[in-house]
Amino acid sequence: MKIYPYKRLSRSIALRVTSVSLRLSDGTRDRLETSAYSTQQQAVALGIAGRTDWVSATIGLSVTLPPGVNAPDAPWSELCVLAVLTDGETNVRTSVNLTLDTEGGHDWSGALEVLRDDHRGRASLAVYAVGTVDGVRGRSITETDRSWIIDTVSDEPVRDLQLEVRQASFKRSSREWLHAYADAPWIVDTSARVPTVLVNTDIEGVMGLLDSNSSGVESKVRDLLVAQMATDAWTAVFHGAIGDLEVESGGGPVFPTDWQGEVLREMLPDVIPGVHVEEALRQVHRRRTGESGWVELQTRIHYAAVRRADAGKALAYAIRSLEQKNRESET
Amino acid sequence: METGEEFGPWLSRQLRLAGRTQAELAEELQLTRAAVSAWITGRSTPRPTVMADIAKALGTDLGTVHTRTTDTQAGLPVTWYHRPGYPDGGRDLGNAAAFAFDADAQVLARETCQNSLDERLTENGRPVKVRYTLHELTGEKLEAFREAILWNDLFPHYSAVSESAGGQKVGRVVDAGVRDMYEKGRLVLLRVDDYNASGLTGDDYADGKFAAVVRRQLESLKSGHSAGGSYGLGKATLWATSALGLVLINSTLSVPHEGRTERRVIGRLELPWREVDGEAYAGPAWFGRPDPDSPGAMVARSWWADEGTVENLYLSRENDEPGTSFLIVGAHDVGGLAENSSDADDGSAGDERDDEDTRDITRMHKRLVEALGRDFWAAMTGGGSRLPLLEVSVRALRNGEEVVPEKQVDPSVEQPSRTRALRAHYEGTTVDRLTEAGQVAVRNIPLKLPLFGGVRGTLGTHQAVLLVTESEKDADGAKNSLHSLRGNRMTVKRATVPRLPIGTNPFQAVLLVGEAAGETTPFAKEAEEFLRAAEPPEHDRWGQTEELTLRWSPSAYRRINALTTEANNAVRELVARPKRSSREGGEALRKALTVKKKTKAKVPTGPVVPALDALDATVGDGGEWQITAEVTIPRGDEIAPMVPVAQLDVRSGGRPKLDWAELVGVEGCEVEDGILRFIPGARRAKFRGTTDVTSHPVRTTLTRLVLELRAGKGE
Repeated sequence: MKIYPYKRLSRSIALRVTSVSLRLSDGTRDRLETSAYSTQQQAVALGIAGRTDWVSATIGLSVTLPPGVNAPDAPWSELCVLAVLTDGETNVRTSVNLTLDTEGGHDWSGALEVLRDDHRGRASLAVYAVGTVDGVRGRSITETDRSWIIDTVSDEPVRDLQLEVRQASFKRSSREWLHAYADAPWIVDTSARVPTVLVNTDIEGVMGLLDSNSSGVESKVRDLLVAQMATDAWTAVFHGAIGDLEVESGGGPVFPTDWQGEVLREMLPDVIPGVHVEEALRQVHRRRTGESGWVELQTRIHYAAVRRADAGKALAYAIRSLEQKNRESET
Repeated sequence: METGEEFGPWLSRQLRLAGRTQAELAEELQLTRAAVSAWITGRSTPRPTVMADIAKALGTDLGTVHTRTTDTQAGLPVTWYHRPGYPDGGRDLGNAAAFAFDADAQVLARETCQNSLDERLTENGRPVKVRYTLHELTGEKLEAFREAILWNDLFPHYSAVSESAGGQKVGRVVDAGVRDMYEKGRLVLLRVDDYNASGLTGDDYADGKFAAVVRRQLESLKSGHSAGGSYGLGKATLWATSALGLVLINSTLSVPHEGRTERRVIGRLELPWREVDGEAYAGPAWFGRPDPDSPGAMVARSWWADEGTVENLYLSRENDEPGTSFLIVGAHDVGGLAENSSDADDGSAGDERDDEDTRDITRMHKRLVEALGRDFWAAMTGGGSRLPLLEVSVRALRNGEEVVPEKQVDPSVEQPSRTRALRAHYEGTTVDRLTEAGQVAVRNIPLKLPLFGGVRGTLGTHQAVLLVTESEKDADGAKNSLHSLRGNRMTVKRATVPRLPIGTNPFQAVLLVGEAAGETTPFAKEAEEFLRAAEPPEHDRWGQTEELTLRWSPSAYRRINALTTEANNAVRELVARPKRSSREGGEALRKALTVKKKTKAKVPTGPVVPALDALDATVGDGGEWQITAEVTIPRGDEIAPMVPVAQLDVRSGGRPKLDWAELVGVEGCEVEDGILRFIPGARRAKFRGTTDVTSHPVRTTLTRLVLELRAGKGE
């Protein structure tokens, strides 16, 4: 629970994206359709137009401050509203001043310039109302309670981080390092921008099975396969995330801010249940780098991965479907 | 001075009303019969001195004879005429047309407003003004009103109906209505006025709007081909809404009848078959002046009332603009009760707790505004060179005092997004693709009209107009829906656009077909006619109807389905991202590989873990943080000891930890070596603490405190 040493507003700011346009390398602009962003998901997908030659994106913003911000007896003064884009991967922070739409109103608007070179993927956009309180300048009076996700790569405005899935012929791929894995049906690459599951198309029919929409036994087998792959992926991703943690001066690990952070926040409650995620991270880090306990933790990590992959459900459905099949052939 | 009707017809009617002949009058005035005849045929007018004699003979004052704006009261008094029972012994235990509707204020709003729209006087280009007034009467006002409608004459009929109410729906409703009036001592009048409409023109009995509304069932005499109604059922909602089955009417006519236009008054009562004093009555009854021309001078016809009478009947109109006032006596709203369970989207849930009263005027007011906004927002919207077709206001009174002030229904408040879309269309500011919030995109959707009489082929293609815009907040009702309307601008169809991808920005869409797409659009008239035939009595969808089958073909409705499909596709194309076919690895795997942030971790077995519930913190004089924290403890046998940890919040990196100078348990817990130990069985605990200033890395007023409870040792 957080406490500030000065008076703030208890209600949060509402932020909406109103338009998105790309500036191309030849100086022209491409105004993207409103489907480039989702107000429900609070996400913007700049990759939606499939362009590779854009330099920067301009995101139109509209903000509504909560009631009470203009109250005559408010303890703050010199109010300004800032939109701040934070990228946990590249550590770039961009802020822009918004302007008040009508004197005495609650609505502010402005445009945020996102430089493509500053980001590798997902950045989060928040808005702060900042003023002078008790003589101290630059104090945040209220913020948005949920940030928008600005993704410079994704072609779909969804909020949740999705791991990549790609297919390749491991034997003939131009990525030569894949040749070594030619007999594996899939591998997980956690060194990519976003962890990627590579599916080997040399195994005939595997993509067909994954893409199948049929019902019956085939779909149950597909679900089993998906569960198996997902278990592998989640396990690998967890190890990847825990493997290169930044360590602060006191020896404690720092919570990562990119995809690794998201994965850890999601999985740690199952790995070390009942404690705060930060505490859980410290414990896991201690066991991994310390003398003992790392081996014992593997079961918990595996369990966390199995839960995410819904393996239990997939298996139960597959078995039931097989039993049904057997009964049918008996009668 | 007000100019009344011609002297001749007026005098003729007065004589008939009084049941006297021309010869009798001539005798009384000591004139020849020919002289009287000459007045009546309009060949001459009486001298002023004779006027006074005539007034005396008719038992009225000179003014009435001169102005002739009203009938003399000398005639047979206004009374109730009950239709006698059928000679064949048949019994109607209710009006079938009224059964088609429930007593629902929203249905009433829809039907009456539609009628007013259809009867709008189009020549002057002004909108038709409709006003709904809810008026609750109690005490003396109720007494006076009952007297005005001759309640004592009606009461035996209501008693007769109540007695036989047992098995009949109508009987039960009427019985409940009468009981409510006596037990609660109140009566709710719902008045529907329209101005700048044609009014109930035509003869009392022969074909005309008056007879269509007052005397006939299932007759529709609509003024144009784009009219909304077509079944003549809508008027039945008036009687359905009255628990007493009683509606009074005052109309100002656009075309004079009997030389007059103002204050044509009549009442109609709908009761089931009944027997009173040994006489059988068929059902309906009329409140009016007995017509001397009818057999036995029994049938009540409309009369031209004076201002005092309409005042007493709560039927006064505010000006002389043509139009009709309907007064529904004993209005009730059964539909309002079930509403909130079904329409959770409307955001109106939650205030239904007070009581289950079907006669609550403030709630009826709210429901009327809601329904009018929902169904008629388009008719109320103007823009560019177009004026709105309709203006509606709603108010509620109690014994003449305003309870809810008159409020004009504003489409841009009730349906902001759709209204914006239509206005943009009228003003020509639509765009092809949506690139900014607030824009309105337009598309043409073809409607292929079939040939008449089941002939294969297409008469022509009508281009309907589809408008799509971003939905504004929650004011528009269900999001992602498509409203379809035609020439009369009433929303006919409301449907959610199916198969939208998750995360689609909320939108509202409007489909304008027929004359709504523009009067000059090719085949607008034909489309209008076709769609009108495809509407059921409720006018709430387009689909297979008998009329469609008879006039076109049994498969004609498929053309409408094709229109809907095309419209939905166009909407999806405008608002949704194109589905990516290049997606690799199948949806199932992608889904399994999403970091959801929602999966609840399994609660471990063992001791229960208390959690922070409330925190109060201030900076002390010495610069230390002073905290008081409350903790909730889940039910459990064993409670885990917790360590409160005070840290300073930072933007990145690790949080600096503060030491405690003091830590005290206030209730439900004890502090031991900086560890909180909870008293077994406690569900809440409270502790106090002060940080050690020497452990603060920066000035306290520039820090943000984070307090956590950690299990175990809390390192």
